[in-house]
Amino acid sequence: MEKSTWAALPAKFEAGTPPIAQAIGLGAALEYVSGIGLEGIAAHEIDLLNYATQQLSSIDGLRIIGTAPNKTSVISFTMDGAHPHDISTIIDQSGVCVRAGHHCAQPLMERMGVPATTRASFGMYNTREEADTLVAALGNVREIFN
Amino acid sequence: MMDELRELYQEVILDHGKDPRNFRKVENANCEATGYNPLCGDRLVVTLCVDENGMVQDAAFTGNGCAISMASASMMTEIVRGRTRAEAEDLFQRFHEMCTTDEDIDFTDDEDVERLMVLSGVRQFPVRVKCATLPWHTMEAALRGESEASTER
Repeated sequence: MEKSTWAALPAKFEAGTPPIAQAIGLGAALEYVSGIGLEGIAAHEIDLLNYATQQLSSIDGLRIIGTAPNKTSVISFTMDGAHPHDISTIIDQSGVCVRAGHHCAQPLMERMGVPATTRASFGMYNTREEADTLVAALGNVREIFN
Repeated sequence: MMDELRELYQEVILDHGKDPRNFRKVENANCEATGYNPLCGDRLVVTLCVDENGMVQDAAFTGNGCAISMASASMMTEIVRGRTRAEAEDLFQRFHEMCTTDEDIDFTDDEDVERLMVLSGVRQFPVRVKCATLPWHTMEAALRGESEASTER
């Protein structure tokens, strides 16, 4: 190679195929979300958070970790006598997907003295019925780890 | 659905998980290793006392993890006691095969070893295989004089 020539900005920094599909996808996602409205989405998520918090609180031995007033629609919890990895395997069989373990937040978990939690996250596409499914599936956990 | 889960969480496993045997440190240990599964956060320490003839005199563990890993570690420490280094490593090979292949491994030649069959339910739950094998990886590392074992290596 003897010499290089450079295109004008911004093209000189855009070697290879630009992320065309991703840009189109982002556009579609923005249209979808703004069609529903951010306020409506937030209201739905808060409703699910409150509903699920209330339902989960009725389970014996279940402790919700993180109860800040304006927290987002995720619920981390522990259950007496059942490790989060066992919980997640069991409720997975009911079609409920959660994250379990240290959530890549080991320093915080260590500081709080909580080795692992189970975490359910609610989005705009979730429903109250699905929160009920989670609660029912946790009943299976109780049944196995009685 | 509950059938597969009952197969995984058999009474023996729940019992060992709730009340693990040899949950301590071997006082005069001459082999020790820490096992870590960075993906799930399970961490356990296996300590062994191996005599001059290569016989495991005592085996114990400490740590925190799910019912499967606690039960596997508990049963392992019971079963390797009184076995030689080579026997313990051979046992791990057979146990590992039992957890990861669909073929039936015949353990009936050894009553103690046959008890490990209760953990074969992990086959139906591939993400849980490492829960069952981590204690064994850790014991193998300890026997080889290594201080650490990781599931991601």
